[in-house]
Amino acid sequence: MIEAIKVENVSKHYGACVALDHISLGVQPGEIYGLIGPDGAGKTTLFRILVTLLLPDNGKALVEGLDVARDYMAIRRNIGYMPGRFSLYQDLTVAENLDFFATMFGTSVAENYQNIKEIYAQIEPFRDRRAGQLSGGMKQKLALCCALVHRPSVLFLDEPTTGVDAVSRKDFWNMLYRIRKAGVTILVSTPYMDEASLCDRISLIQKGRIIKTGTPEEIVAQYPHRLFGVSGNPAYPLLKFLRRSPNVLRCFSFGSEHHVAVSPGQTGREDLLKQIQDAGFRNVTVREINPNIEDCFMELAKEEGQKS
Amino acid sequence: MVLLYLLEKEFKQFFRDPGLPKMAIAFPILMMLVFPYAVSMEIRNINLVVVDNNRSVASSDLIQTCTSSGYFNLINICDDPTWAMQQMDKNRADAILTIESDFDRCLERGEELPVGIKVNTINGTKGSIGAGYLTSCVRRYYAEKSPRIQQNYTAGPQLDISSKYYFNPYLDYKQFMVPALIAIAITMLTGFFPALNIVSEKERGTIEQINVTPVNRGVFILCKLIPYWAVAFFVLTACLLIARLVFDYSCVGSLGLMYLFTACNILVTSGMGLLISNYSDNAQQSMFITWFFMMVFMLVSGIFTPIASMPGWAQAITYLNPMRYYADAMRAIYMKGSTLADLWADAAGLLAIGTTMVVWAILSYKKTT
Repeated sequence: MIEAIKVENVSKHYGACVALDHISLGVQPGEIYGLIGPDGAGKTTLFRILVTLLLPDNGKALVEGLDVARDYMAIRRNIGYMPGRFSLYQDLTVAENLDFFATMFGTSVAENYQNIKEIYAQIEPFRDRRAGQLSGGMKQKLALCCALVHRPSVLFLDEPTTGVDAVSRKDFWNMLYRIRKAGVTILVSTPYMDEASLCDRISLIQKGRIIKTGTPEEIVAQYPHRLFGVSGNPAYPLLKFLRRSPNVLRCFSFGSEHHVAVSPGQTGREDLLKQIQDAGFRNVTVREINPNIEDCFMELAKEEGQKS
Repeated sequence: MVLLYLLEKEFKQFFRDPGLPKMAIAFPILMMLVFPYAVSMEIRNINLVVVDNNRSVASSDLIQTCTSSGYFNLINICDDPTWAMQQMDKNRADAILTIESDFDRCLERGEELPVGIKVNTINGTKGSIGAGYLTSCVRRYYAEKSPRIQQNYTAGPQLDISSKYYFNPYLDYKQFMVPALIAIAITMLTGFFPALNIVSEKERGTIEQINVTPVNRGVFILCKLIPYWAVAFFVLTACLLIARLVFDYSCVGSLGLMYLFTACNILVTSGMGLLISNYSDNAQQSMFITWFFMMVFMLVSGIFTPIASMPGWAQAITYLNPMRYYADAMRAIYMKGSTLADLWADAAGLLAIGTTMVVWAILSYKKTT
């Protein structure tokens, strides 16, 4: 089976700034593949290469077996792209935007209505409203409809949930699962680590390099340390204290808790609790926790930083 | 199909824009109804102070001749040169006519007239033209009076010069400006808007969304230009109609030729617009670059000041100025009825610049960077 997206050794730099540094990845047909990384990691650059808006400096990128540099016209007919920024015509109405993009792909809304029905039904009551006057969530649905109206086999979603509220985000992921059911391959990027576990497979990307690829479960399972959630007063000196502590490997602040990584078998929960209480912190709790993707990302980013 | 739909979209966006359709209507009206008066080089209302030291019938006749010409506002007749000078210092007088005390005697004897003219040249044009008017008034006065006087003396040879103004018999400045203003209006409209339109698609990111569709880039650009070509021909027609209905001017030459030259000029401005949009990332940049070139084009186009009176290097620059050819052709067709055979050089100039612009625009455009 050919991979829906294949990236081999792709690099791209803007002047002296390296945006992508020898990236390789493969996406299987019909999976939701997540590109997880902070802002400026190179996610958008990779998207722009894959949707044929940008040429890589070197390396090879294939979408549905077609080369992005050579067969860009064929690729364009087969993909849907939703950029991170809303980029439909704000002065055209919802229906006009949809008609417009359908026509640009040489098809019509009527022909593909089944394909977008579920999502379009939610914005259809506002079909005569100008796109610029829609709410953020509705704009996003319209953009998704426009990206799907020509039945693409691969869908590229660049940070689709940035700036969208928690409920709409959940809604959006449910829509993605329905789209996947129709056999569409989805490549999605997000800076939100909690969305990583919603993907079938993910790549963690940082500073233009992929630091880990796998299913979310695999990545979490490979976390090498024991992890404790520690809270206590005062919080900031506690963080500094933990970072100085000789048997603590890493310590990051996660909301109200500090996530403390220790080598397995070296330090137990009781040891840690005693150490902190002895140092004079109040209301101290220490509990063993399972690592999440963000813990893994921090760990891997740190390792990567030490390597280079 | 795609082309028609793209065009439909462009027209929809044009008519939905809060400003553009109003601009397309207001622009020719303003250009035709207001500017022919506003940019007039005719100087009227020159404030005149007369220092009359003669106070004779002859001197008051001269003053009468000057004021009845319609160019002067008589501020006062006095006999104190210092007061007159003060008026000029205070900017209340533009010109001072001094008539010496032996004026009537000199006139009778046919001697040189003792008359002095002083002009305020803070506004150079007003000053020099005012001096010219005043001199010609004095000369006319002398011509009227002297034959009668000269009968008493030996008759010398008389020169009778009569000038005839071809193509604009009454030296009507408005008629001179109408074709030039049309040239300015068309160049501005077709130069600014397509560039701004393309750059705004860049700014809003919509061009990204178009670029990932299989739509041909050339078709997309063409659909950006066509609406403004339509607007340009609409404006040209509207301007010609207004000139006809309001000023009763009509085109002496072929109207078809005016449209042809307008089409050539659009080739230039569209090419330039595309070129500018290729090199600018936002509306401000493209606006400023376009504005800069428009200013230069207008000032050295021969519309306001004759090219022949520019220094050599400036004249050389005007050969690169498309507006020079366009304005020249429009004036020649409109006022003189020139044909394509007369204006082939203008047509060649426009086509050469236009082709260069378009080719450069196509070459500098990169679909994927």
